[in-house]
Amino acid sequence: MIRTPQMLQKQEWLAFLFHRHNAHLASFHTFSNYPRIWIISIIILAVTSLSPLVMATFINNRLIHKSVDSELVLQTDRVTSNAKRSVRFFLEERLNALRFVVNELPYYSLIDNEHLTKILINLKLGFGGFTDLSIIDSDGSQVAYAGPFNLEGKNYKTQSWFKQSMEKDNFISEVFTGYRDVPHIIIAVRSQNAYGRYYLLRATLDTQRLMDTVLSYKSNFHTDIFLINHTGILQTPSTNYGKIFTPTQIDIPAFSDTTQVITPENNKDKSYVVGYSYIATEAVTTPFILMVHKKKSEVMGTWLNLGKTFNWIIGFCCLVMMVIITLVSTYMVNQLFLADQSKAETMLKMEQSQQLACIGQLSAGIAHEINNPLALINETTGYLKDLYHYKDTPRDDKEIIELLNDILEAVSRCGTITSQLLGFVRQFDVQISSVNVEQLITGILSFHKKETEYKGIHVTTAIAPDVPDIKTDRGKLQQILLNLINNAFQAIEVNGCLDITVSHLPPNTISIEIKDTGCGISEENLQRIHEPFFSTKKERKGTGLGLSITYGLVKKLQGSIRVESSEGVGTIFTVTLPVKLQKEDEA
Amino acid sequence: MKIILVDDETKFINMLARRLSLRGLDADVAYSGEQALEKAAQTRYDIAVLDMKMPGMSGLALKNKLLKKLPDIKFIFVTGHGGVDKNGNSDLSEEIFLAKPLNIDTLIDTIQQQIHPHK
Repeated sequence: MIRTPQMLQKQEWLAFLFHRHNAHLASFHTFSNYPRIWIISIIILAVTSLSPLVMATFINNRLIHKSVDSELVLQTDRVTSNAKRSVRFFLEERLNALRFVVNELPYYSLIDNEHLTKILINLKLGFGGFTDLSIIDSDGSQVAYAGPFNLEGKNYKTQSWFKQSMEKDNFISEVFTGYRDVPHIIIAVRSQNAYGRYYLLRATLDTQRLMDTVLSYKSNFHTDIFLINHTGILQTPSTNYGKIFTPTQIDIPAFSDTTQVITPENNKDKSYVVGYSYIATEAVTTPFILMVHKKKSEVMGTWLNLGKTFNWIIGFCCLVMMVIITLVSTYMVNQLFLADQSKAETMLKMEQSQQLACIGQLSAGIAHEINNPLALINETTGYLKDLYHYKDTPRDDKEIIELLNDILEAVSRCGTITSQLLGFVRQFDVQISSVNVEQLITGILSFHKKETEYKGIHVTTAIAPDVPDIKTDRGKLQQILLNLINNAFQAIEVNGCLDITVSHLPPNTISIEIKDTGCGISEENLQRIHEPFFSTKKERKGTGLGLSITYGLVKKLQGSIRVESSEGVGTIFTVTLPVKLQKEDEA
Repeated sequence: MKIILVDDETKFINMLARRLSLRGLDADVAYSGEQALEKAAQTRYDIAVLDMKMPGMSGLALKNKLLKKLPDIKFIFVTGHGGVDKNGNSDLSEEIFLAKPLNIDTLIDTIQQQIHPHK
């Protein structure tokens, strides 16, 4: 298919993706796979432009996390050590009060219940948190008691706290329920009476005070602060682990004199840190471990939100850049494709004209070689005919004359073909004259009158009233139209239509459209119809030169020819010609 | 009126000569330029029908040589090349060309016109 410049200039968006594959053009393309170039260019642009951005974001996020982590550790450490000091002070204060009591008062006054009650009242007033007081002798029997519970006469010999406290001067128990079914802590101090026998002053502490002390450091929902014993059982309620006395699955942290902050290995995505401290008073160790669980989200809230906002902005930027990259790549590759396409089309045209020139040279040689024997046949036959004519006794053999005429006619037909072949290449003088296209077409159609009637073909000619007479080579135009109209007639079956439309394209071209409802031309043949010697007609019916000669002639008349065809529907040939032909040497 | 026909295609030119003589025209034949010049030395020809392409001497070269011997002679060129490019070749612009295969009647008409141009 011969593309006119108008068709080339029509820049189809995404032409490279949707172009129809044309084997003739493809061989002239510089690049074979445009979608691949497109994708590669998008990938390269995206990687080079987006990766620094992504890396910067990644590093920024890491930095935020790191600073948040150290901030968290610092905060946790502070909370833990403060809480630890308070708990330690709470216990130490009460232990010292009891120590003071046993050191100041003699045994006999202590075993007096009334006196003991007075001491309890004073202790409550002075320190608070005491529930009751009792004196227990070395056998484990309670000899005096002051407090709300009626526990007089109880024997604690078998209880573990009793055994432990009899071994040391000072003792602090873990939280337990004991006889009274209320969580409490026992603080006991050991002393000797006048007979040198050990006895204990035992006080039970209300755990509420301890809880309050611990919980006063709980700054918000994200912080969980609680006490556990050395086996991991909760000594105060915990937000995460539940009520008091619940066994937790916490790994008991390694012993340390000082406050420690760790990030447990097993916690998912390291979302919290753990601060802990073993609590010990100056005089005695305690079974308590202070635990502080601090969730990252608390401290990170602001930072994480900032980071999130930042990530959203970056993500949006990436999206916008991807869109721009895609559009730019598409545009560039499309331009590349269009340039390549027009190059390929030019190359194809050049190849075709090269072919035409080649064939032209070849046919000139062939025509010359054929013309000589043709001339001989012509003369010999002519002479034979002459013999019948000019001899003294003319033999009136009509049949032989007829046969000789047939031979002469065949020779002259051959002569026409060879002169067509020659005319196809040779530059003749262009004979410019004023031509009335309508008359020309009417003249040509008159040749086909018989055929039109015979096949029942419906012929219409529509000539626009503004079509001027054109200045061109009459003979060539006649041959062009003759060829095209002949082709149309050959293609049309019985009862077909032939429409010839002539219109004026101001200012200086006319177009002649010859439309038939014939058999049409297949896509692959359409590419080749202007090639010399290409013919789909059965043997003898065509030389294959008609359309290539037509093509050459149209070029000589400085026009263009376009074909549209669909198989089985019909074919439209459109010839565009200048109104006034420029002489070659003037052009 | 004497005619000389010059072409390297011997059979063609013989046949043509016979056909012309049948029509009452006296025609000699020559198969090359040299032969034509020899014959021209002996006979005065009125018109020469020359093939354009011949081995050795072309029709055009022969024309110039014949003109020296017979200044009044007229020429008709015959060519197998359908047409001749006259553009930019002033030597050819005045000449008469006929394409092979020849139509005998056209040839005779052309000869008559050459001999009696104003008829």
